[in-house]
Amino acid sequence: MSLLEGLRFTRGDSPIHEIDPRVKFLLTMVIFITAILFTQLLPLLFILLIQVPLVLIAKIQREWAQSLRGGLFLAVIILVTNLVSIYFFSGKTLTTENLEYALAITVRFLVLITSFSLFFLTTSPDKLSLALEKARIPFEFNFAFITAIRFVPVLADEAQSIIDAQRSRGLELDKGSFLMRIRKYIPILLPLIINSIRRSLELAEAMESRAFGATSDRTNLYELRMSGKDYAVLVVVLLALASVLYIKYVFPPFRQLLPPGTLI
Amino acid sequence: MGIIEVEGLRYTYPNVESPALKGVDLTIDEGEFILLTGPSGCGKTTFSRCLNGLIPHFYSGDLEGSIIVNGLDVREHPTSELALNVGLIFQNPDNQIFALTVEKDVAFGLENLGIPKERMMEDIDWALDATGIDHLRDRGTNELSGGQKQRLAIASILAMRPRILVLDEPTSFLDPIGAERIFEVLDTLNREHRITIILIEHRVDLAAKYVDKVVVFGDGRIMNMGSPEDVFLREETRLAGVGIPKIVELTRKLRGRGMSIPETPLSPEAFIHQINPMIRKAGAQSEKTLHPDLEEFVGEHSSSPLIRVEGLSFAYSPGIQALRDVSLTIHKGEFLAIMGENGAGKTTLVKHLNGLLRPQAGRITYEGADIADLSVAALARKVGLVFQNPDDQLFSENVESEISFALDNFGFEKEVVEKRVGWALNLLDIEKYRKSSPFILSGGERKRVALASVLAWDPDVVVLDEPTIGQDYRQKEKLRHFLEQLRTQGKTIIIVTHDVEFVAECEPRIVLMAEGKIIGDGTTKEIMTDVEAMDRASVAPPMITKVFSKLSAYGLPGDVVDVDEAASLLIHLKEASG
Repeated sequence: MSLLEGLRFTRGDSPIHEIDPRVKFLLTMVIFITAILFTQLLPLLFILLIQVPLVLIAKIQREWAQSLRGGLFLAVIILVTNLVSIYFFSGKTLTTENLEYALAITVRFLVLITSFSLFFLTTSPDKLSLALEKARIPFEFNFAFITAIRFVPVLADEAQSIIDAQRSRGLELDKGSFLMRIRKYIPILLPLIINSIRRSLELAEAMESRAFGATSDRTNLYELRMSGKDYAVLVVVLLALASVLYIKYVFPPFRQLLPPGTLI
Repeated sequence: MGIIEVEGLRYTYPNVESPALKGVDLTIDEGEFILLTGPSGCGKTTFSRCLNGLIPHFYSGDLEGSIIVNGLDVREHPTSELALNVGLIFQNPDNQIFALTVEKDVAFGLENLGIPKERMMEDIDWALDATGIDHLRDRGTNELSGGQKQRLAIASILAMRPRILVLDEPTSFLDPIGAERIFEVLDTLNREHRITIILIEHRVDLAAKYVDKVVVFGDGRIMNMGSPEDVFLREETRLAGVGIPKIVELTRKLRGRGMSIPETPLSPEAFIHQINPMIRKAGAQSEKTLHPDLEEFVGEHSSSPLIRVEGLSFAYSPGIQALRDVSLTIHKGEFLAIMGENGAGKTTLVKHLNGLLRPQAGRITYEGADIADLSVAALARKVGLVFQNPDDQLFSENVESEISFALDNFGFEKEVVEKRVGWALNLLDIEKYRKSSPFILSGGERKRVALASVLAWDPDVVVLDEPTIGQDYRQKEKLRHFLEQLRTQGKTIIIVTHDVEFVAECEPRIVLMAEGKIIGDGTTKEIMTDVEAMDRASVAPPMITKVFSKLSAYGLPGDVVDVDEAASLLIHLKEASG
């Protein structure tokens, strides 16, 4: 779960937070594409490291560290399965190249975690919804998305209350066989579902009372406007994308630049 | 012509046999502040839904009669249009907040109406200002306290500039100080902006002094209405099971014993003003002669300590300390109330008593033995915890199996389970629902099922978290008698509550908490009159205590919490002063 912790937006006021969500999304996508295009350790390490200053500027190092820690287990699995499968497929030998490849794939995973954390941690759902609106996603979907985010903490509290109440009635979740344990979640899931249905009815009443759906010409309190800084970031991101593509497809491959056999 | 005109209103919910409203006629004039009260299930909420068109547009069902709001026939205009005329605010603030920041939530209704941005800003500014939450503008909505959330809900409705506000038990989840603030906001809106207000509320003690008119609902009809002074003195109101403000109750008792109080007061200040001429002369009397020997009854309990909490500290996450070095001894057979504002650490403390939470520092002993090694299930056998919301635990197909759930978990024999279930059903007077689904029962009945499902295994200690929330006057009276009954069986009872009037009637030992610490511990009288500690804990004293705190100049004791005692003292004073 702590992997997801790293995706929960916390309000802040860094330059990264202020970047237009569309530009920031493009930035995330460019990092994502780069990570997919390269399988060598050096460029992947490079794009991992290039994100560190961004994380520091956004002051989200703690949350980032948390999501990395959450992803650590998966990272180790990725490394080990890669090594083991290469080991058996290539006739029970391992070269430094094999090791480098396994490491590169693991670093790629960390790059992805970092870039998504950077996006979700610094983009308020309100702004994200605006961006979705600009992208002509119907408001109903948008509203559902915001409501889901809004009710995550409320539902988490409720689930905790239910668990507390049932444990107080002698329910022991960690006892018994696997099947028995699954059955023990019924007293927790049922109230949670019933409460959610009840809640959705109340929400619907409250929405009606706030004139939901009164007009198709809905206005918005906030507007997305690209500032000069946003255009500057956009240019940098596009340049970065261009150079990535250049390096990948035109520039001679990396390995030729380096003395053979070096492990990076 | 009134701003609201209701005639011959009858309504039946779909798939229900008996009507929820059985003929309501009511005219409300512009600028009135109406208190609508009545026992649970009397049709108040249904009536409020009729005013903004949720009935019949959102709820189908069978509607007769006419409802005209601000000149609009409710049947012919959709709720979204009526929202501009009448704003509805609900009980649970969490279920009416849609955005992630305060400002954006206030905008939600305006955005739906398609109002241009510049005008929207004006409306938002006004609404935030009128509800006194302008300073919270940029806050996240989930960082707000319950009271702040409810004020936000009012602001969000207000931004659409309705002429009428209807509030359905808006203060149920709030502590008395939070509730008082809501009423003050409503009072300002009513006086300064001439907004018509219909307040549905059980908390008559706090609300009475603000309203022009009281309407008492009962069984789908209006039982009686008029000025608060009249309505609360009438016998029908009492019989309808509606709470009577303690000040009115005191006035009635004094009149009954021959004191003449020309006007019925609704606040402690008004009360003192009314009785002043009669007792002025008594100023010189010494306290001794005026204090009848009313030996206070704090409850019998043996002196053997049952639960000992020593130096307990707990934090949910680093830096957010919920309990700081709490020490407390609870004796066998004691009746204890833990009070304090929301977030003071009350619930965190009681969750330690059955092991749901474990001390991060300090220790807890039960009958002298450390509980650290005992599982929750083992501890729960001794300490039964009943949570605030019954819906957080009910899940079975019928009441019987709901009650046997815990007994099965604890591994009781089949015959024992059967006997226990029967016993608990009788104890809470729900035998007739044995085979019913708990979900079709009313709120008060569900609460009793939840209570029965804990009492069934006969724990020595019963802990109730906010047992009076959402309960009407009669249900509270029943609960109070029930707690008394449990005490005679030798049970140790702990209630966590911010319902001061309820506590004043029970007179338990009070533990007062603020910011994770115990800041007061003593009898009801001692704590309720400890102005400094009560202030620190943000707990407002009961009405009667408020009156007597201002009468000390007349040589009267300040530590009075009970209406009967108050009446005796005042009669005594009057007789003494001739």
